[in-house]
This record gives sequence, structure tokens and C-alpha cells, in this order.
Amino acid sequence: MVVGNLNASEGCDALVIGAGPGGYVCAIRLAQLGKDVILVDARASLGGVCLNEGCIPSKALIHAAETFEHLQHADSMGIVLEGTARIDMPKLKSWKDSVVKRLTGGVATMEKMNGVRVMQGTARFLGPNQVELMQDGRPIMIDFEQAVIATGTTAIELPFMPFDGEFVIGSREALDLEEVPEKLVVIGGGYIGLELGTAYKKLGADVTVVEMMDQLLGGSLEPEINSLLNKRCKQLGIQVLLQHKAISAKPGKLGEVVVEDKDGKQKTLPANKVLVAVGRRPNTSKLDLATVGLQADAQGFIQVDIERRTAVPHIFAIGDITEQPMLAHKAYREAKVAAEVIAGHPAAYDVRVVPAVMFTDPEIASAGMTEAQAREAGYNVQIGVFPLKASGRAMTLGAPEGLTKVVVDMDSQRLLGVHIAGPQAGELIGEGTLALELDAFIDDIGHTIHAHPTLSEAVLEAAEIALGTCAHFASPKR
Amino acid sequence: MAQYTFLLPDVGEGIHEGQLVEWLASAGDTIKEDQPLVRIETDKAVVELPSPVSGKITQLKGEPGEIIHVGDPIAFFEIEGAAPAPSHHHDAPAAQAAPAAPAPQAAAPAAPAHTATLAATPAKRPQDVLATPHTRALARQMGVDITRLQGTGRAGRITDEDIQAAASGQIAAPAPQAAAPVHQQVADQAAQAHTARTPVAAAPPAAANVEVTVHGPVERVPQTFLRRKIAEQMVLSRQQLVHVTHIEEADVTELFKHYDESKKALAKRDIKLTPLPYFIKATIACLKEFPIFNASYDAQKGEILFKKYYNIGIAVDTPEGLVVPVIKDADRKDIVTIAQEIRDLAKRARERTLKIDEMRGGSYTITNIGPVGGVFATPIINYPELAILGLHKIEDRPAVVDGEICVRKRMYLSTSFDHQLIDGADAARFMRTLAEMLAEPAYLFTRF
Ligand SMILES: Cc1cc2nc3c(=O)[nH]c(=O)nc-3n(C[C@H](O)[C@H](O)[C@H](O)COP(=O)(O)OP(=O)(O)OC[C@H]3O[C@@H](n4cnc5c(N)ncnc54)[C@H](O)[C@@H]3O)c2cc1C
Repeated sequence: MVVGNLNASEGCDALVIGAGPGGYVCAIRLAQLGKDVILVDARASLGGVCLNEGCIPSKALIHAAETFEHLQHADSMGIVLEGTARIDMPKLKSWKDSVVKRLTGGVATMEKMNGVRVMQGTARFLGPNQVELMQDGRPIMIDFEQAVIATGTTAIELPFMPFDGEFVIGSREALDLEEVPEKLVVIGGGYIGLELGTAYKKLGADVTVVEMMDQLLGGSLEPEINSLLNKRCKQLGIQVLLQHKAISAKPGKLGEVVVEDKDGKQKTLPANKVLVAVGRRPNTSKLDLATVGLQADAQGFIQVDIERRTAVPHIFAIGDITEQPMLAHKAYREAKVAAEVIAGHPAAYDVRVVPAVMFTDPEIASAGMTEAQAREAGYNVQIGVFPLKASGRAMTLGAPEGLTKVVVDMDSQRLLGVHIAGPQAGELIGEGTLALELDAFIDDIGHTIHAHPTLSEAVLEAAEIALGTCAHFASPKR
Repeated sequence: MAQYTFLLPDVGEGIHEGQLVEWLASAGDTIKEDQPLVRIETDKAVVELPSPVSGKITQLKGEPGEIIHVGDPIAFFEIEGAAPAPSHHHDAPAAQAAPAAPAPQAAAPAAPAHTATLAATPAKRPQDVLATPHTRALARQMGVDITRLQGTGRAGRITDEDIQAAASGQIAAPAPQAAAPVHQQVADQAAQAHTARTPVAAAPPAAANVEVTVHGPVERVPQTFLRRKIAEQMVLSRQQLVHVTHIEEADVTELFKHYDESKKALAKRDIKLTPLPYFIKATIACLKEFPIFNASYDAQKGEILFKKYYNIGIAVDTPEGLVVPVIKDADRKDIVTIAQEIRDLAKRARERTLKIDEMRGGSYTITNIGPVGGVFATPIINYPELAILGLHKIEDRPAVVDGEICVRKRMYLSTSFDHQLIDGADAARFMRTLAEMLAEPAYLFTRF
């Protein structure tokens, strides 16, 4: 405590700024390793974007929408609904909120149990070993020996149609709507826009997705999966405008959005809401990084080394602000590494794969290299693609649309990538991720028994197709 | 014009020999400084050595497949201007040593004037190497740079055994250490000991040129790397030193009375105690009195190196074989600290997670074989040390005290020593002093 300083002040071994998946895990791990830790976040509830306005609420909404959609098609299985199923948005929202509250409350309990001191406020650096935390206009000084920056990201705004919280909204507001908009225009065909667009379509909205590129999801998909996705969007009635960009919006109860194709031809789309989901920007500009000798790059990312240490050795950075992909599970791992390094243990963020799951329809998951990336890297590529049409389990689920694909290096027989589209793809990718991280060979998967009848067999089948030993699907001769 | 001779530098991690893989330039070539010159394979990795100077190569020594040693002249150059001092492995360019991670730093200086930048990421990252997360973590724990290893597994996968082999390459033969020049010269000398260029295929030096015939079913199990290193070290010691073993008997009745009391006092405080630290302390007192036992010999200079540090190696029996972790500066540590260190080192020795640095730099070795059994033994000296102490079984034996036969706690102590530098009478005096200290705690404790 600085004598004579009128401001309140605190001190700790390790200060963690931001309580998202990166920050809240890092704080707990640091405390477990014996550090005296302060965790600060601008918002009142812990869990960052992920728990409050990202992964969790979006998946709750998507699950509700899916369930609703299944009910409408359940008659083919002999389930007869007397009357019609109906969506009660306020109720759905309060269910979703209760899920979020349970989880954020759980995080707060864990922090407390581990002895982490949690403080609310907005932090900025005052010097290499001090931050100022603004709490309702009142500053508190916090001295630290080491700091971890985990401030996450904010949705990017389009300058010509700024967020107004009413007509032009971001993903956060889209998760809190009191009613299903009749007409929803989604700007951005990335996973956030497409996930939410699909959910609202299933809840009854008329949805148009506007994407600047010539493919959805940033063109990252395997071509087989991309065509399944396009087919399904069409089937659901989602209008997808590729190679179009938004140029202006006219707000209103029934407002409009003007879009333009690559030849400059304009189109006016009527809309009750416009969801802008064109990417997220690291929250690093207000941290006064220069006072510690750090500088974010042009996009706002903070560069780190394999230990997640920044160029200033006692300051670390983790989560969305370090590098792509911006995913919660990447932040979790980085959090553990940074905490262990700070506590003097040997640790490194040396993961080979970060799996990605898109809760679209079909659900899409991937780990490792795509076929194109593997070819680009010079591998002698062999693939195995198994359609869910040939899966007994998929059929019993009434979901025969989907596939599993493995990418293999023919020379060494090493598995290079796993890509899945279909029900539970996100769960199934776990096997692929583990196999890749353990450096599995394709026969490691091919010779492992997978329980029947399950969707997991589809991963085995794809491996067997690559090995040429599949019995359940006649693949085109290689 | 001047001549320049390039001696094989220390290629890192204390390696003193390697196999020439290929020349990346030929005699007659004009080469620039830092241009690749030669690829050398060590038991850790294949490294590319750059040319230390710009100039014309006049001669290259060695064929691919040959074993070359640190300090061997391998290339001769004609260079412009005055000749720089010939390369020497103490200051030679480190062959693409991976940048060490900066140590955690508590606090930075006040407001920096400029923006800090990160060092460039090395070309090969741990995750680019074929190895499971467990193996990658093991490498970090053991201080092995996994990106420099070549895996022995399928498709070049690096296994746990590869990491352990890389780490234990130094177990038997302590390696040069920048911070300890005396020690370093001695280790260099160890490297010089086999200057003859041996073809690689010839397996461990111990292997005699005799065909092994079999007369029934056999199971062939390849020798492990650790075993090979132990074998090499044992043969080296036997070749370089003239072993003689002297046996003494000590009465430790009084010492154990004291030990039992201390043990109880510490147990109350949740601290574990074992007898070994007392023996280490007594030995150090004797080493101070008889410094030749803590010395090494530099045959090149004909000088005896009296080591002014007391780094005590403790032989640990592990399922894979003998490992000798070192208690550094044991003379400056108290009994409890030494006990804790032994426990930790022995545990990690058995798990094979010791760091290379924890197994080198010893000045004297103790082997505590007593708890396993036997009467006494003739231990082999941990070359380039000159002597070793064996502690044998402590048991109740009849003894004559003041003309009476009574039951006393007694034990044999053995020391093997190099008769080239130490005479039998020296060993007898050393051992008698040690036995006296162990018999009379009141005397021993004055020497702590
Ligand atoms: C709609 C949506 C859906 C998503 N779905 C998924 C998904 O399914 N799977 C997945 O893996 N990821 C998903 N994500 C991404 C995921 O939310 C992020 O990757 C994750 O939250 C990143 O964690 P983080 O710790 O880096 O930062 P964040 O979670 O962004 O947390 C940063 C925290 O820092 C605080 N903060 C910022 N600046 C300051 C400051 N100066 N002082 C104090 N506090 C500050 C913020 O208030 C925030 O709480 C989704 C994101 C969105 C928007």
C-alpha cells in the first residue's frame, strides 16, 4: 500500500484481466499453484463472452430451435401432436438465462473456493506492475508481479450501419430477442451468423444470409460438406446471398437493408432486424499497453510466444486476443499453460490441433488439415469419405444427411485431418482430435472397435475406406 | 592469407562425439561465414554446423559415417587477413541451439521507453514434431529440446524412450559445463580418452570380438541406450584408472542413537530423515582433510585438479539401470535439506525425469548398497573422479568394547581409489578418519 495515496489500492502475485474462458481458468489454476490472484472483469457476471453472450446462450437457443423443428417432423415416426407446437419466446429466453446464470454462478463459486479475489471494473495499465481498475468512476490501483491479459473480443461494427440495439443488432442482442422477427437479415455467413440465422429460421423467421465471399463459413469447409450445407440451407428455406455485401440500412419496424452483388447490382431486403456478424475485434485498444512497452498488431492481437508470454516477460496474454482461432477451448488450454509457466513449471502451448465445431444444420466439426491443406503441404493424400446414408444409427435418428471424412498421408499412413457433418458432429470430433494429437496412424482408428449402432462408427468407416477395408459402403474405386 | 583450423565444437547439451553425416561443401570451395559446412549426428540430434569463417576450404577431414570428437580438427581454411584464434569448443558457435525460454521474471524495470518485441519463433516448433502431448511434456520436464531429436518410432515418431535416452546421454559421463572450468577440462579429458576414430557400427566398447553361440532357445532383447552408456562409462573407468579397494569397519552405535532422536524430533514436525545425509557430511569432512579423494587428473597437462566444490553423486538403482544424480554443494547444505534432495532426486531418477544438469557436475560419488544386502563390494569409480565410497549393511554385531563383548551397530565401508594417484596408506588414513567420525558423533558434528 502506498502511503499517502488517496486511491484505494490492492496487490497480488498475479493479476488476470478478463474473466472469460481464458481468464477465469487461468485465475483458478494460478491459485491452485499457490499464487495470490486477483481476477478482474468489467462485467458483473463471470465467464466472459462465452458464458454470457456466446457459446452457451447460443447453443441453448439453437437446441430449442432444433427441438421445435424436430417436433414438426416427428409425425413420420408416428408422433402426433394435437394442435400445433408454438414458441413462447419470453419463456425460452428465461430458460436460456437460467442456464447462463447457473454456469456463471458456478464459475464464481470455483474462484471463491480456490481463493481467487474477484473484482469488478475496467482495467488499464498505469505502468509495468500496476493497473488502474475503474469501478463506477472510482479508481482502484492494483499492483502485481505478473499479469495475464485475457480481455477477449467485441463484435465488429459496420461503420455505415452501426449497432443501435433495436434494428441493427449484434450476436449479443440476437440472443435476447423478446420475439421471433418475421424477417431477419444476417450480414456475414461465418459460423456465428449462420448458427443464429439457422436457429431463427427454425423458430419461424424468414432468414436471408448475406455473405461477401463465394462460400459460407469462410470457405474453410471440405467441398463435400460445403455442398451438404448449401443443400440443407435451401431445404430449410434460408436464402443465402453469396458474393453480396451490405451497403446501407434503413431502420424501422419494417426497415430495409440494401445489398450489392459483385457487379454492383443492388437489391433491397425488407427486414425487422439486421444481425451483423462480420467478425470480432480484440479488446486491446483501451488497455494502455504502451505504458508497459507492449503494442498490439494492426488487428489488435497481442503477440505471444509458445509459453503465452508477451514481449514483456512478466506479462502474458491468452484467449481470443492472441491469435486465431477465437474459440473458448483454445483459451482454456492457453490459460493452463500461462498459469503453469508463471508458477515456474515447464509448460507450452504446443497443441497440434484446435477442433472447431459449427452448430449449424448439419452440425459441422473439423480437426486437423483439410484435404486441400494436406495437398498444399505436399502430402501424398488419401481420403476416406463415409456418407451417413450408410449408417444404421443415423437412419434410426432420422438424420441420414451427413458424412465423415478422414485425410491421411499415404506415405506414412498418418492421420492428418478429420471432418464431420451430421448429428452430434461436435461430440464425434473428440475422437479425431485425440487421434491427431496422439499422432495416430489410420490403422490405429481402423483397428479400434467402435460400438454399434452409434454415429461413432462413421469415423471408423471413413478410416476403413481410406484403408480399403470397409464393408458397409462401396466407395468409388481409388 | 592466413590458415584457419576448425575444431569440432561442442554441439550443445554436453555432447562430446558425433557421427559425420555429410559434408555440405567440398575442399577447394570458397565458403562464406555461417554457410552450412557439415552435418553431424549425435545421440541427440542431427545438427548442421555453419562455417566459422569466410574463405577457401583447403582440406576436410573425415568421411561420412566416421565418429569425430569435440576438439578434433575437421576442416582447414585459407582466409583473408590475420588468422583469428582457432575455434575452440568453449566459444564456438552453438550449432543452431534452440533459443532457451527466458526465465520467469518477477518484475520489469520502471516504464519502458520503447516497445518490446518478441524473438522470432524457431522454424520447428514442438507441435511440428511427431510425438504425443505426453512425450512433448516429458521433453520439457527433462530439459530436452524435442525439435532436435530424431524419433525411433514408426514414421519417425519420437517416443518417451527417445526423450529418456537423450536426457540420460550424460548420466554416466559428466559433460562440460560452462560455469565450472575445472570440471570442464576434466570432462574434456574424458572425451579425449578415446581419440582413436572408431567406426560407429562397433557397438559398446565392452563388446569383445567373440561370437556368441547359443545352445537353446533365447530371447533377444536390444540393449537400451542407458545400459550402453553405463557400459561405456564402466569400461572407460577401468581403462583409465588403476582400481584398488580398501575396506574399513565402523561402529555407528552412537551415531544411530543420535539419528534416532533427531528422527523423532523431526517426525513431530513432519520432516522425514534418513541416515544417508550423515554419511555424506562425514565424507565431505574427510574429503576436505584428504583433498586428493575429491580430485581429478588432467592427463594432457599432467596436472591434478583439486576440486574446491563438493558435489556428491548418489548412485541410484532404477529398473533400467544405474543413474547418478548429484547433490550440488552438499557441503553448504544441512542434513534435512540433503535428505529432502535425495528423496526427490531418487524418486525422479526412478521415474527417469531427471534433468541432464541434475546428473552432471559431480566431484565425488557415494554408493549406498547396504540396504540391498551383501557384506562389502569393490565399486567402480565414476571416472573422471578418482575415488568412490561404498556404504554397506548396518547390523548388530558382537564387538569388544572396554574388554567386554557386547552388541554394537556396525558396518563395512569400502573405497575404490585410483592407485596411480592415491596410495594404499592414503586410502587407509582416509577410511580410518571416516570410521572415527562415524563412531564418535561428538567429533563428527564439530566438522559439519
Ligand atoms: C455468439 C457466439 C457464439 C460462440 N460460440 C462458440 C462456440 O460454440 N464454441 C467456442 O469455442 N467458442 C464460441 N464463441 C467464441 C468464444 O465465446 C470465445 O472464443 C471466448 O469467449 C474467448 O474467451 P476469452 O477468455 O479470450 O475472452 P472473452 O470470453 O471475450 O472474455 C473477455 C472478458 O474480458 C473482459 N474485459 C475486456 N476488457 C477489459 C478490461 N479492460 N478490464 C476488465 N475486463 C475487461 C470482458 O468484459 C470479458 O468478460 C462464440 C462467440 C460468440 C460471440
